[in-house]
Amino acid sequence: MIPGEFDYHSPRTLQEAVGLLQQHGDGAKIVAGGQSLIPAMRFRLALPEVLIDINTIDGLEYIREDDGHLMIGALTRESDLEESALVQQKYHLLADAARVIADPVVRNRATVGGNLAHADPANDHPAVMLAYNAELIALGPHGTRAIPIDDFFVDLFENALADNEILTEIRIPTPGPGSGGAYYKVERKVGDYAISATAVQLTMNGNTCTAARIGLTNVSAVPMRATGAEQALIGKPITNEVLEAAGQAAATECDPSPDLRGSVAYKRDLTRVVTKRAIRQAVERAQGG
Amino acid sequence: MSIGISPYRVDASGKVTGAALFPGDLTRPQLLHAKVLFSNQPHARMVRMDTRAAEAVPGVIAIFTAADVPVNEYGLTMFDQPVLVGVNANGRSPVPSDVSRWEGDQVAIIVAETEAAAAAARERINIEWEQLPLLPDIDTAVRDEILLHPEHPAQSNRYHHYKIRKGDMAAGWAAADVIVEGEYHLPNQEHAYLQPEAALSYVDEQGRVTVEIAGQWTHEDQAQIAHALDLPPEQVRVIYPAIGGAFGGREDMSLQIVMALATWKLHQRGEMRPIRCIWSREESIIGHHKRHRARAKTRWGATKEGKITAVEAEVYMDAGAYNYTTNKVMGNFHLTVGGPYEIPNAHIDSYAVYTNSVPGGAFRGFGAPQGCFVAESQMNKLAEALGMNPVALRLKNCYRENSIGITQTPLPAGVSLPQVIEACAAKAGWQVAGGKWQVAGEESPNLAVSSPPISQSPISNLQSPFQSLPPNPATLRFGRGFACAYKNIGYSFGFPERCEATIELYGAGSVERVVLKHSAAEVGQGTHTALRQMAATAVGVPLEIVELVMSDTAVTGDSGSVSASRMTWMAGNAIQLAAAAAKQEWTDEDRPAIGHARFTPPATEPLNPETGHSTPNFAYGYVAECVDLAVDIETGHIHLLRVVCADDVGKAINPRLIEGQVEGGVVQALGYAVTEELVVRDGRVLNPRFSTYLIPGVRDIPDAVESVILEIPDPRGPWGVRGMAEMPFIPLAPAIAAALHDATGVWFNEIPLTPGKVAAKLRDA
Ligand SMILES: Cc1cc2nc3c(=O)[nH]c(=O)nc-3n(C[C@H](O)[C@H](O)[C@H](O)COP(=O)(O)OP(=O)(O)OC[C@H]3O[C@@H](n4cnc5c(N)ncnc54)[C@H](O)[C@@H]3O)c2cc1C
Repeated sequence: MIPGEFDYHSPRTLQEAVGLLQQHGDGAKIVAGGQSLIPAMRFRLALPEVLIDINTIDGLEYIREDDGHLMIGALTRESDLEESALVQQKYHLLADAARVIADPVVRNRATVGGNLAHADPANDHPAVMLAYNAELIALGPHGTRAIPIDDFFVDLFENALADNEILTEIRIPTPGPGSGGAYYKVERKVGDYAISATAVQLTMNGNTCTAARIGLTNVSAVPMRATGAEQALIGKPITNEVLEAAGQAAATECDPSPDLRGSVAYKRDLTRVVTKRAIRQAVERAQGG
Repeated sequence: MSIGISPYRVDASGKVTGAALFPGDLTRPQLLHAKVLFSNQPHARMVRMDTRAAEAVPGVIAIFTAADVPVNEYGLTMFDQPVLVGVNANGRSPVPSDVSRWEGDQVAIIVAETEAAAAAARERINIEWEQLPLLPDIDTAVRDEILLHPEHPAQSNRYHHYKIRKGDMAAGWAAADVIVEGEYHLPNQEHAYLQPEAALSYVDEQGRVTVEIAGQWTHEDQAQIAHALDLPPEQVRVIYPAIGGAFGGREDMSLQIVMALATWKLHQRGEMRPIRCIWSREESIIGHHKRHRARAKTRWGATKEGKITAVEAEVYMDAGAYNYTTNKVMGNFHLTVGGPYEIPNAHIDSYAVYTNSVPGGAFRGFGAPQGCFVAESQMNKLAEALGMNPVALRLKNCYRENSIGITQTPLPAGVSLPQVIEACAAKAGWQVAGGKWQVAGEESPNLAVSSPPISQSPISNLQSPFQSLPPNPATLRFGRGFACAYKNIGYSFGFPERCEATIELYGAGSVERVVLKHSAAEVGQGTHTALRQMAATAVGVPLEIVELVMSDTAVTGDSGSVSASRMTWMAGNAIQLAAAAAKQEWTDEDRPAIGHARFTPPATEPLNPETGHSTPNFAYGYVAECVDLAVDIETGHIHLLRVVCADDVGKAINPRLIEGQVEGGVVQALGYAVTEELVVRDGRVLNPRFSTYLIPGVRDIPDAVESVILEIPDPRGPWGVRGMAEMPFIPLAPAIAAALHDATGVWFNEIPLTPGKVAAKLRDA
């Protein structure tokens, strides 16, 4: 299929881009890496009248640590994330995820901001950022605001940004001592979206889990946290039984739909498996393993 | 000698630099554009079609429908498909043209100034359909509540039946100490070639309607076009530019006839502009046939010493809406479902069934992968039941020189299967000790114990064989599986087999330049390179002075198709004859000296309808494979660690190209066995794109594929050559199933082995 017709703008500054958004209202769409939007346009699932290409705006691609946070510019490519020494050293959950998003060709274009803004439960970053308790920075006509990740995903393909807001930065709290994270994903083949995946970020005191956040990928209509699985961990020493209880909890609270990737029963069971494995790996990392 | 070496492919630089032009790259001044309208109706009768609104779209030149086709039928082995579905438009064909029997039936071709105009017009063709009862699968179709092809003499949707009746079944069962049974299900497979269908057509300077397209047999394309357009073949010209893969998927017609039709009709109206059409990936997957889905029920008996005593099998193949090459593909399934083994007593029935599903047709292996999956799974189950080593069991039963085949006639001379099995087993780590196949120092006859340890290296240095999901070490299992196969080379069952070649020698005192004219389609397998090497060797000149003129029916002779692993074998024989003739002319002082030859191999026979008695083939290839894999029993993921493929190629004309065929064949078969699942529901393909139909990517492929190239001459092959390109595909799926059983203790009788299915079955086991 051929996409419908649209106008195209390539602003030089964020202000210009916000101005364009204001001017064109909800007929306008931002294009970043284009790896989700262009396919959607091709199938005419998205029919924007105006495309605002933010690739021409300087200063939106960075990964740096500041003020107890990892700051990621919204236009940062997945491949930069994957190659970042800082990410590899200190943000294991993020490093795990960056390796398994799509394939290298897609990762060269796709952006972290686009991955989140698309609000697709099949994407990997939503679960990761839920587990990290990240904060998203949005710029609109009246300046910037910070949106907690728990409030960001509103519905399938719907986020909390206003029509005239641009996502500019993602802030991840730097993990403190005794914390560890991991992302485990099962795909049908390398480069595919997840059948199911789990993101875990937790803190250990000895063998006891003192804090945990868990995000699930592609097993619900809206990116979700597995709060039941979190509760199964927090305050407990990590044993095989606790791991199994957390896995079971995630399997119960997720809400997958049957499709070419598998039946509901299979997806639930995989969620149990990946959740257990992600927790075990996160615990090992937290304990310096 | 220019054979036995691996010079660069003749097409390498063009394909690397982009200079090579594939059909979609071709253009001519004043180009027009075409779109094809599919019926999108798995089973419906056309009541009315109105093209007026479409014709009114600005830029539309013409719309051609069934009424424009002089003889509205085509088919490679029987004419059972309308070129275009339409009302009152059979032309001179007995095939009812007003019924769409699958969603990919073509209805119209629209020619316009631009692609966009053609596409817009296509959406404005109004058709009224009357829905007919749907026959989505074999089970529904065999009830014969409605006939898909009432014109077919069989008067049944189960329109084709082959038998084998050999020996005395009662005696066979009586002699059996063990019996193993199985019901197997085999899926469709999409060819997934890189280049979707495309064509450029025009009338050439000599008034021939000309189609430049990617196909597998120029002269068959020419014949099919000529038949439907009711033209003499000389009036039709087919040229193959660079072809982006084929694998059997280009044996049948896609754009050939409709593009020729549009060009010819426009020409008659005085419109001389060339036309091009390029299919999208979705159109390609909807619009061409697939590997047949099939099922088989079978029962094998053997003595406790491991001699097979009886084989019984019942095979059903889903032909889809039209025969395409189903009768031939099923013949191969029929010949291979008992494996490459000496079987004293056999009772086999194979049925082809018309349904409203996508047609089944040619695809690398041509029925043998299905037959081999059944036969080799049975063989591995026998090995388990007998407590015998699977290699030893095969050697005890396999075809060897002078064996009588399943069709009760001797196999063609040069049966090398025992050597192939031994070479594969040895490379994979088995040894013979005390006359037994086993690992040195171990006496156990059990497969799991007596197969050599899976090499630790690929596992340990990978840390995890799974890219994204490092396994829980406790849920990882390792296994090894073995399978072997045979497959015919060249056309079978009496189908006329031939191959032409022309060699021209230029020069005065000595030969300065050699031209080989040939129609072999270069589909990526490297045939042009191999043919050039053989021509240089046959004439006795350096490779550098041999030029190729290829694949143009106006100047090159009929070579037959690139299929059935036949081209090197057939063309090599033809080239040898043509070179001898040219050298004779050279001696007679003709300049240029031109030698033309038409090679025909020994005749073959159709199967006897009651017993299957026949000499079905004139040559075979032999192959064996051993697979090492890891499986995560919680997630159901499989990863191949190592594949050893031993293939007797007779003579390796170009060893590097052969390794390419082995590696490509193994990866394609991995897709068939594990990742690829064509979802066809109610006659519709639901995943016609590569984001949902999953072919293996670079990280899914085996960690190692080791080719063992044997050169045991085929006595009739040129320089001893055997065909080989299909062989590496054939035994992989059953070898994987055997390895999975070795790892888990569970037999899988169905592919693809997608994670969900594997995990579910392991959980239930
Ligand atoms: C073959 C393939 C496989 C893939 N596999 C995976 C996978 O396994 N896992 C995975 O996570 N993803 C996968 N993806 C998706 C890929 O990661 C996408 O690129 C990503 O989801 C979107 O990022 P983008 O920069 O391309 O966004 P775009 O496609 O440019 O935009 C996506 C949406 O976000 C909006 N948007 C983008 N940037 C901003 C911004 N700064 N502010 C406000 N709105 C914005 C756009 O308007 C649009 O609605 C795959 C994509 C392809 C093509």
